[in-house]
Amino acid sequence: MAAVQLSQVKKHFGAVQVIHGVELNIQDGEFVALVGPSGCGKSTLLRMIAGLETVTQGRIAIGARDVTDLDPKERDIAMVFQNYALYPHMTVAANMGFSLEHRGRPRPEIAERVRWAADILGLAQLLERYPRQLSGGQRQRVAMGRAIVRDPQVFLFDEPLSNLDAKLRIVMRGEIKALHQRLRTTTVYVTHDQVEAMTMADRIVVLNAGRIEQVGSPLELFDRPANQFVAGFIGSPAMNFIRGRCTPEGFAAGGIVLRAPEAAAHAGREAVCGIRPEHFERCGEGSGAPARVEVVEPLGSQTQLLLRLGDTPVVALFHERMAALPGDAMHLRPKAGAVHLFDASSGLRLDDVQAA
Amino acid sequence: MNSELAPRAKVALYGLICLLLIPFVFPTWWMVTSSLKPISDIFVFPPQLFPSHPDWSSYRQVFSIQPFAQQYWNSAWIAAVVTAGTLAIASMAGYAFARIRFPGADALFVVVLTGLLIPSEVTIVPLFRLFLMAGAINTHWPLVLIPMFGPPCVFATFVMRQFFVTLPRELEEAARVDGLGRFEIFRTIALPLARPALASVAIFTFLNSWNLYLEPIVFLSTPAKFTLPQALTQYTDAYGGPMWNIQLAAATLTALPVLIVFVLAQKQFVEGLAHSGLKG
Repeated sequence: MAAVQLSQVKKHFGAVQVIHGVELNIQDGEFVALVGPSGCGKSTLLRMIAGLETVTQGRIAIGARDVTDLDPKERDIAMVFQNYALYPHMTVAANMGFSLEHRGRPRPEIAERVRWAADILGLAQLLERYPRQLSGGQRQRVAMGRAIVRDPQVFLFDEPLSNLDAKLRIVMRGEIKALHQRLRTTTVYVTHDQVEAMTMADRIVVLNAGRIEQVGSPLELFDRPANQFVAGFIGSPAMNFIRGRCTPEGFAAGGIVLRAPEAAAHAGREAVCGIRPEHFERCGEGSGAPARVEVVEPLGSQTQLLLRLGDTPVVALFHERMAALPGDAMHLRPKAGAVHLFDASSGLRLDDVQAA
Repeated sequence: MNSELAPRAKVALYGLICLLLIPFVFPTWWMVTSSLKPISDIFVFPPQLFPSHPDWSSYRQVFSIQPFAQQYWNSAWIAAVVTAGTLAIASMAGYAFARIRFPGADALFVVVLTGLLIPSEVTIVPLFRLFLMAGAINTHWPLVLIPMFGPPCVFATFVMRQFFVTLPRELEEAARVDGLGRFEIFRTIALPLARPALASVAIFTFLNSWNLYLEPIVFLSTPAKFTLPQALTQYTDAYGGPMWNIQLAAATLTALPVLIVFVLAQKQFVEGLAHSGLKG
């Protein structure tokens, strides 16, 4: 187990810069998720930690060692790939023991380590099978087994659940989290699925276009996103954004005024108001803004409504069954303390920006 | 939808296939049956599909007229060495072209491929001069080195390259993380997975070497050093006319290993070509 430090790490592919001076400290034993949209550089960053991509500028350290220019085999890391990358011509046991065998470890030791990992991952009955004889979830477990057999300082996961169906993904999420809690090995986990990141990580690093937008615990990112990008990326369904102006009375947009005491401090400023769908509540005519239901999506114990609030389409999620119909009128207001204000031009959280 | 053919349609289809097979199968059938006939019966019309009295003496004469056993061995060991050498060179070169990025890699690959465009008839004279200077005329060196470094190996390299390009990069990256170097990745990961392509390369390299004719007649002059295609032309009578029954017996013996290899390994041959993206 070891900490991982990235110091001003930059990466160019030819003339194109894809990683812009990333600074990140991962504590020993921590589970950190790198999330972001496709092309944001999260996999590139992970591959740079692994040594599969060179570092154009900056420094990467694992523990006390500067590994920036070291080959993957010298970094004491193990990686689980999106496509599992199991050796097709080797059995499960051979796959899992391959790196130890290559390093010249004694056969009894290899067999013991493979058995130990197989027991943890429920692979004991599958050791003599070949990858082509396994299901997707089994292959993913073998890939994880191949990683943990080596007892590395750092685990690297590159979107390991992307190729699994939704149900299996939920199961494997729990298994990976349980594995981390058991082994406490420093883990860097790349995913484009913010739900995976929220449920598994100790801390989340949100990346966008090669830059870190915010680093924090799942609830920190959820409760206090640093900018509009993070606010829109974290949380499902995604946060609603309403463009308007801060006033002493609240947030004014498209002929309506939303209850937002936070807006008074930035009165007169053009801003974007962010409200999560689950943070709307129905209210009386006097205390809320008028809204018209456009689409009703019953989800069983919840109801999702697509509404037009003023002239802005919004999504509202209610934890109850509602007898609403398209065309119905209602009044909505954000729950107390649930409004996020972002600067209209920079997208930064207004709390972090000097009041005008 | 039921994709099974109706019985009548099956009969019609198989009948058509049998008809189409005739021009392919008949020459081989004629060769084998004529080797068991006296010369006078070979060209009778209508042709006899079966010899009336099979005569195996032609096969004895094949070995008594020329050192056929020695010539058989010459073809066999040359084909084996050429095949082994080509597999070694083509697999490594193909892997390098597929996986190693070095300056000029693409241009170099194109240059290598142009070797396929030049017929052997064009290069045979300068090659003769080269081997003459090296003192290798009337030896087997040209028959080994020319295929191993010439167009057959270029084609083999192309087939191997096309195969290695299809291997997922993550396999090699996983091997790098597991601690393997470049050559170890090639030897323990890429090569075992390349069996279909290797089998395909082995088959057509073997066949090419076995059937080589231009190089033996240019470089060899001693009958004991001849290879089989060259030896076949030596079964002539005092007037220079072919002794058909004996020649066809020798041809049957020459074709036998080829037929056996292809029948046994045709699945790998087709698989290997499929992986390389080539057709037929």
